[in-house]
Amino acid sequence: MLRTASWPRWGRTLLARGLGSRRGGSAPDQNGKVSEIKKKIQSVLPGGAWNPLYDTSYLPPEHSDVVIVGGGVIGLSVAYWLKRLEKPRGAIRVLVYSRASTVLSVGGIRQQFSVPENIQLSLFSIEFLRNINEYLAVVDDPPLDIQFNPSGYLLLASEKGAALMESNVKVQRQEGAKVCLMSPEQLRNKFPWINTEGVALASYGMEHEGWFDPWCLLQGLRRKVQSMGVLFCHGEVTRFISSSNHMETRSGEEVTLKRIHEVHVKVDHSLEYQPVECAIVINAAGAWSGQIAQLAGIGKGPPGTLQGTKLPVEPRKRYVYVWHCPQGPGLETPFVIDPSGVYFRREGLGNNYLGGCSPTEEEEPDPGNLEVDHDFFQDKVWPSLAQRVPAFETLKARSSWAGYYDYNTFDQNGVVGPHPLVINMYFATGFSGHGLQQAPAVGRAVAEMVLQGHFQTIDLSPFLFSRFYLGEKVQEHNIV
Amino acid sequence: MLKIIIPTIMLIPLTWMSKPNMIWINTTTYGLLISLISLFYLNQPNDNTLNSSLMFFSDSLSAPLLALTTWLLPLMLMASQHHLSKEPLTRKKLYISMLILLQLFLIMTFTASELIFFYILFEATLIPTLIIITRWGNQTERLNAGLYFLFYTLMGSLPLLVALLYIHNFMGSLNFLMIQYWIQPLPNSWSNIFLWLACMMAFMVKMPLYGLHLWLPKAHVEAPIAGSMVLAAVLLKLGGYGMMRITTLLNPLTNFMAYPFMMLSLWGMIMTSSICLRQTDLKSLIAYSSVSHMALVIVAVLIQTPWSYMGATALMIAHGLTSSMLFCLANSNYERIHSRTMVLARGLQTLLPLMAAWWLLASLTNLALPPTINLIGELFVVMSSFSWSNTTIILMGINIIITALYSLYMLITTQRGKYSHHIKNIKPSFTRENALMTLHLLPLLLLSLNPKIILGPIY
Repeated sequence: MLRTASWPRWGRTLLARGLGSRRGGSAPDQNGKVSEIKKKIQSVLPGGAWNPLYDTSYLPPEHSDVVIVGGGVIGLSVAYWLKRLEKPRGAIRVLVYSRASTVLSVGGIRQQFSVPENIQLSLFSIEFLRNINEYLAVVDDPPLDIQFNPSGYLLLASEKGAALMESNVKVQRQEGAKVCLMSPEQLRNKFPWINTEGVALASYGMEHEGWFDPWCLLQGLRRKVQSMGVLFCHGEVTRFISSSNHMETRSGEEVTLKRIHEVHVKVDHSLEYQPVECAIVINAAGAWSGQIAQLAGIGKGPPGTLQGTKLPVEPRKRYVYVWHCPQGPGLETPFVIDPSGVYFRREGLGNNYLGGCSPTEEEEPDPGNLEVDHDFFQDKVWPSLAQRVPAFETLKARSSWAGYYDYNTFDQNGVVGPHPLVINMYFATGFSGHGLQQAPAVGRAVAEMVLQGHFQTIDLSPFLFSRFYLGEKVQEHNIV
Repeated sequence: MLKIIIPTIMLIPLTWMSKPNMIWINTTTYGLLISLISLFYLNQPNDNTLNSSLMFFSDSLSAPLLALTTWLLPLMLMASQHHLSKEPLTRKKLYISMLILLQLFLIMTFTASELIFFYILFEATLIPTLIIITRWGNQTERLNAGLYFLFYTLMGSLPLLVALLYIHNFMGSLNFLMIQYWIQPLPNSWSNIFLWLACMMAFMVKMPLYGLHLWLPKAHVEAPIAGSMVLAAVLLKLGGYGMMRITTLLNPLTNFMAYPFMMLSLWGMIMTSSICLRQTDLKSLIAYSSVSHMALVIVAVLIQTPWSYMGATALMIAHGLTSSMLFCLANSNYERIHSRTMVLARGLQTLLPLMAAWWLLASLTNLALPPTINLIGELFVVMSSFSWSNTTIILMGINIIITALYSLYMLITTQRGKYSHHIKNIKPSFTRENALMTLHLLPLLLLSLNPKIILGPIY
């Protein structure tokens, strides 16, 4: 009946065309009309995507097994591993795409952490990145080139930090990272452009460290994950519909366990939203995970109790500056991290370098926008750079950008795993600047948690949410 | 028969005029009372038919199916209470009216004595089912599912209308009681072959036969719980019942016309059982297992031996109760976890032990454990097909093994093992759900004490 309703419309346009212009060119019109008719018929037959009411293809589906909030590298990695580790099944996922910080990252990967779990995460991630074309291969698509520069990381330590660095390197070596300690003498020999004043010890990662192109990893993951059947959608999570149960623990105290039933996803630039019914929600929203957690009701309660423990992840703005310096260090420059917190690395082959510095607590910039403060470079970054590498006195700043860290104010390490009270929300966030390099491994860990109920390959139990309530910090000392 | 039909019709004003907090209670109770009335028809003292009027009759084939239909209405109402609780009142009443209307048409179909009357009601059952699937289903795919369901069945049954009109013209009456005495053997000619096909295709699609079964997984999965229950339990049996009635007209063509459909059924049995082993969606698994069990019924009806007819009837009743129970169990899972994927809800035995008991019993009856009527049906079918051709025993044996495999796979995946973290706070089983499972299981287990009620007219 609807098809016949459309015939008069065509008839009218044909008539108008006939009256308006009688030029030649009606033959291509005929072909166009025929293919239009064919397309319409094909869409109506079973299997086509014809919706008689209105087109809702921009909305997420009404139902999904797992909803991953956050479409950056961590969210995509979780989706990839969920699809890869499932015994073959068709669990659908929906990704709610919010603003991702991934592509704004500097892109370094290192194993020089002090917490053993971080080292293991990086080690797996580098193995993933080295074999990226085996993991993320899609039929008929070109292979990925993440432009991995294995130049290593060079962490410099002053007198105060030398002992800590030694113990860290011991832990790293135990986990299997290849790191060597260098004295200032050896430093000067290997890197003549360095000014070793104030440096007591340096640790140099010899293998599996360097930097790569985060955008390429993101694209590769997105492509692969789409080919595995994950659904993407753009939008913003505005609400969680959940239900609570009052239960008693074994010791008799009352807890209220919550369960999320629906996620309301609002479409951009519109008031329209779609309730997505789901079984599991994964919070991989990066810098905005704190807001998402608040929407789910995490942290609503008297402070000091488990209900009142918020997710301590907030966005922190960090600047990255690019400069040009023809007399700078050569092609084998590692990713240098100064004891003052300034870091830089080589970028490309044209004597460009990029770097930055984490501001202290007092001078934290306002995370409301991504505007870059150039005075910060002049006042804080350049002097330290020039002091460490004398050639950088004559650098010329080219460009800069700002990105967000999903900064975990508690202990600057990631939060992975389920929430004890909101039963079906899993976290994969709060990595405070080293999320990109741990993304593949974290994705696998979260997927194992969802599918098997416990961590199998890398045990990330120190990173569970309950440490915020119990006060057990997993302090990472090597944070930039 | 009017003593069942009129109360069923009057259930509709009951829903519309009851107080809002009494609609479920009223309809469920009166539905149960109506089913108690229908139990009277099960008393069939001889192998003749019990004629209520010129239009309605019941014999030992239709009486168990009638009892199943009327028994299922209160069960459907009990199962739908939770997912309709948030809808506005008018919509709830509309849903219940659809179910009652469907019930009414089904009762009249099973007791119709004239074949055109049967056909009209056969088609009429499609409408409330379609409305239930497309309006109250859960996902967007339900529109597609409704389309598949409607058009497959319509395409299959249109030739049936033509065939019935021709036979009426040719024989003068289609009253089933008269047909039994007037039939002559159908000579072998092209037009009679097409007549045979026209008569049988509607029921083959409804059963469904393996090659025409595409509508079933879609419709079962997308339908709400009451829709799935009535589809699996009763609507599929319409096909079996119709086939058993109409094959009396079509001898001796059936002897050789049945071969392709026998092959399709035997092969399809194993195929659909194997698909069950790889299913990840719980409802889809149960839907494919329905296809597999119904394929056995098709084989039985096409062989046309006394034992196979007994097996077919027993299998229809047994499968109706078992499949409906499995769908209720899957729905109780779905209402808590909002996902039908099996792997996301593991280890439920530790959390809901009583529900695990119902799961166990339902899986055991699904895999035809002795001494349930499922086994009796399957065993009769296997034996009669063995006597028809010795080779079928291999296929039947493989099917029984694979049925056991996937039933146990479903049980172990959902019940055993360590529970997943995100189902720790599911609500415990409601009394309503336990009552639902008991009401499914009790007839099933009691019938194993006295199966001769459901063994059909040949017993």
